[in-house]
Amino acid sequence: MIRRRGNSALPIFFLLTFALFCAVVPRFASASNLEALMAGYAFIAIAAMGESFAILLRGIDLSVGAVMALAGMVAFDASLILHLPGYLTIALALVLATFAGALNGVLIVFLRLQPFIATLATLAAYRGIVFTISGRQLVPELSTAALTDPWITGLDAYFDIGATLGVESISLPAVPLSFLLMIVLLVLFEVLLRSTRFGRDLYATGGNPEAARLAGIDLRRTVLIGYGLSGFCAGVAALLLVARLTTSTEALGNGMELTAIAAAVIGGVRLNGGAGSMWGPVIGTFLLGVVLMGLTLFGISQFVQQILTGAILLAAIAHSRWLQARSLFRHSAPEAS
Amino acid sequence: MNGSALVEARAVSKVYGLSTVLHPTDFVVVASEVRGLVGSNGAGKSTLLKILTGAIAPTSGQVLVDGEIAPPAKPLQMLRRGLACIYQHSNLVAEMSVLDNIFIGRQPTHLGLVQRKLLRQRAQALLARHGMDFDLDATVSTLSTVRQKEVEILKALALDARVLLMDEPTGWLSVSDVTRLHATIDGLRSRGVGIVYISHVLDEVFDICDAVTVMRDGRVVADQPIAQLDRARLIELMVGKTLATQAFDQAHDGVRRAPPTGVPRLRCRALTKRGEFHDVSLEVHAGEILCVTGLVGSKRTELVQTIFGASRFDSGTIELEGVPLEFHSPRAAIANGIGFVTEDRHRDGLMLDLSIAENLVAATLSRYRRGLLLAGARIRATARRLIAALNIQPPNLAKPVRLLSGGNQQKVLLGKWLDMQPRLLILDEPTVGVDIGAKAEIYALLRAARDNGMAVLVVSSDLEEVMTIADRIAVMVAGRLVRTREACETKIVDLVRDMGAVPA
Repeated sequence: MIRRRGNSALPIFFLLTFALFCAVVPRFASASNLEALMAGYAFIAIAAMGESFAILLRGIDLSVGAVMALAGMVAFDASLILHLPGYLTIALALVLATFAGALNGVLIVFLRLQPFIATLATLAAYRGIVFTISGRQLVPELSTAALTDPWITGLDAYFDIGATLGVESISLPAVPLSFLLMIVLLVLFEVLLRSTRFGRDLYATGGNPEAARLAGIDLRRTVLIGYGLSGFCAGVAALLLVARLTTSTEALGNGMELTAIAAAVIGGVRLNGGAGSMWGPVIGTFLLGVVLMGLTLFGISQFVQQILTGAILLAAIAHSRWLQARSLFRHSAPEAS
Repeated sequence: MNGSALVEARAVSKVYGLSTVLHPTDFVVVASEVRGLVGSNGAGKSTLLKILTGAIAPTSGQVLVDGEIAPPAKPLQMLRRGLACIYQHSNLVAEMSVLDNIFIGRQPTHLGLVQRKLLRQRAQALLARHGMDFDLDATVSTLSTVRQKEVEILKALALDARVLLMDEPTGWLSVSDVTRLHATIDGLRSRGVGIVYISHVLDEVFDICDAVTVMRDGRVVADQPIAQLDRARLIELMVGKTLATQAFDQAHDGVRRAPPTGVPRLRCRALTKRGEFHDVSLEVHAGEILCVTGLVGSKRTELVQTIFGASRFDSGTIELEGVPLEFHSPRAAIANGIGFVTEDRHRDGLMLDLSIAENLVAATLSRYRRGLLLAGARIRATARRLIAALNIQPPNLAKPVRLLSGGNQQKVLLGKWLDMQPRLLILDEPTVGVDIGAKAEIYALLRAARDNGMAVLVVSSDLEEVMTIADRIAVMVAGRLVRTREACETKIVDLVRDMGAVPA
C-alpha cells in the first residue's frame, strides 16, 4: 500500500532553480530583486489559488482575468467617482468579484454548461461590463487621477523585517503586505481543503462526482462555493494590483487566466480534478516568477520568455502524465501479500 | 422485528427513451432476511436497485421506507433512512484516502473542522468489529481491486445501515474473501439488517440467501423462499421455461458438427498479460462460433481486447491462419480482417448522433471513396442492403442512431462489422440490453455469418445466449481458461459448475 505522497519534487525543483539563478544571474539575490519578486508574484499566486478551486472541481475558470478587471474597475469607480471610504470600496469590490465567480458556478450547475464554455462566455461578458462602467471613459479627466484612499494605498505597504529583527549588517528584503496576505490565504485555504467538510466534499466532487452524489454530497453547493472562491481570490488579486498601480485600467488582469492555470498545473493540481493542493500553485507561481525575472535580469527578450512559459507548462503537464502512467502501471500488477 | 418490511417498492418502472428496462414491479426488503436478486444481464436488477437507493427516479411508482413514501432520486434521504448500497462499479474517490472514503459526505465536524481523530477511532472500531485490517491513510487508487471492494463494504457498514443492497459484491473477490464476506453478512442479518444480494453465482445464492426474487426482461417472474427451490428450477426461472427448452434443443438438435479441421483461423498459445489473464490457449476455426463465458471480472473482455490489439500482452503467441501476428493497434487488426463488436455500444461502438447509414459504413469508409470524395450513392445502396438484411427498424437511412431502440442500435453496430466481412469477428456481450425479438434476429445473423465461413468469437455472461449460439464453449475463471466443451454435449449446470470452480 502506498500512502498519499506529498509532491516533494516541486519544492526541491523550486529551490534548485532559485539557487541556480542566485548563483548565475548577477544581482538576482539582491534584497531589491527579492522584494520585486514577492510583490510582483504574490497577487498572481492568490489568483492561482482561486483557479485551483475550479480545477480541483474538474472544471476551469477562464474568467479570473476578467473578474480582476471588474473588481479593479469597481474599486476605481467607488473610490474616485462615488468617493466611498476605502473599507467600503474594498468590501464592494470583493463581494462583486465573489458573485461574479459564483455566477460561473450558477451557469455550470443550473444551466449545465461546460466550465470551459461558461467561463469563456463570462470572460467576454465581464470584459464588456468593465468597458461600460469604466470611470476612465465616463469621467475622462479622472483617467490620470491616482487612487489616494489610505485603505487602498495601504495595501501596497512593506514591512522591513531586517529593521524589526535588528539585523543591520546585511540588507534583508522588505516583505510586501501582499505576500503576507498570500501566506494568510494559503494557510486558510489549506485548512479549508484538508480539515473541513467543504474541503473533503470538494475533493470528492472533483475526484468522482457520481460517488459524491450518491454519498449525499450537495454537488451544486460545492461547485457554487468553489467558483465563488475563485472569484474572491481574483478580487483580492485585483485590489493588490490596483494598490500597486494606484489606478485601474480596462486591461487589468489581461491574460491572467493563462498564468493562473499554468501555475496551478505546475503546482501539481491535476487537470481532471480531485487531486492537488494550495501550496503547489503558490510554489508554481514563484517558480514561474524566478525564471521570468531571472531571464529579464539576464537580458533575454519578453518574447523568448513567453516561449519559455509555454515550455514550462508543457513540461509540467508531461511530468504529471508520466507520474500517472507510472502509477497506473504499478497498480495493474497484482498486489503481493 | 423479524418479518417487518423495511423498504418496499410499489409498481416502480423505468423507461429510457424507447426501451422499457423495468416494467412495473413490486419488491419488499424484510428485516433479518437476505434476499437474493437473480436474473441474466439486462433483466433489470441493477435498475431496480438504483431506484431503491435513490440513484435514479422511477418513471412511475413509489418507494416506501418504514411505510412512508420516500422522495424519488434523493440518495442522501435514502442513506439517512439507513439504506446503503454497494454498486457493481466502484463508487470510491480514487485519489482520497481509505479513511476519507469510508466517511465521505458525513465526516463529523467541530467548529467547522473535520474531527480526524474521532473519524480514525470510529474507523478502527469498525475494522475491529468486522475483523478487517486496513491502512486507513492509504490512497484508494493504490489498492488492489479486491481491497477497494472491501473499502466499499466498510463504507456501507459505517452507516450502521438497516438495509444493505449489494450488486454483485463478489464479482472481484477470491473464494476465501467470499467466505469472509458471507460471515459478515450473517452477522448483519442476526442484527436485524435486511440485505439484498444480487449475484450471478448460484452457489452463493443458495449459500447465503433466505429468499430469492427472479427477474427476466424487466419483470419479476418469481419470488420464493430459497428452501422451495432447487438449482434446476432456479435456472429455469432465470432463463424462462420455453427458452430453456429451446436452448436445450438448440444445443442438442444438430448433428454433431464435424470436428473442425485444418489450420484454425485464430490460435492463441499460452497468452499471458500480467495481472489480467494467464496461460490462455484457444482456437477458433472458420465456420465456428466459440463462446467465452465466465463471471464478471474473469477477464474475458481483457482477453479479446488483447487479441484485437487494443492492449498488449506479455507472453504467448497469436496466430491468424497459421501466421504469427501481434497487432499493436486495432487499426492493424482490422486491416488483417478482424472485426470487434464492443461491449458498450454507447461508449465505444456507435456514433449516436450520426445517421444509420453513416454508422453502417464507418468501418469500411475507404471502400466508398471516389477520388478525394465519398461516393454517396454507393454508401446509400450498401446501407439500404444492410438495413434490409438486418431488419433495422425504422428502415430510414438518415435517422440518428440515438433515436433507435437498443436492439436496433445493436443491429446497426453488428451490420457495420458484417459489411467488412471479417475473417474473424469478435463480439463482447452482443445482446446486453436488447429485447428478446432482436436477440433472436442477432443470433440468426451470427449463425448465417458462421455458415458463410466466418470465424466468430463471442464473449457472453448470458448462459442462455451461450447455449443458444455456441458450437464450443470456453469458461474463464479469474483470468484462466478452465475448460472448453463441445456445446452439444454441455448442459447449463456444467457451465455453472465450471464458472464456480476455484482457479488453480
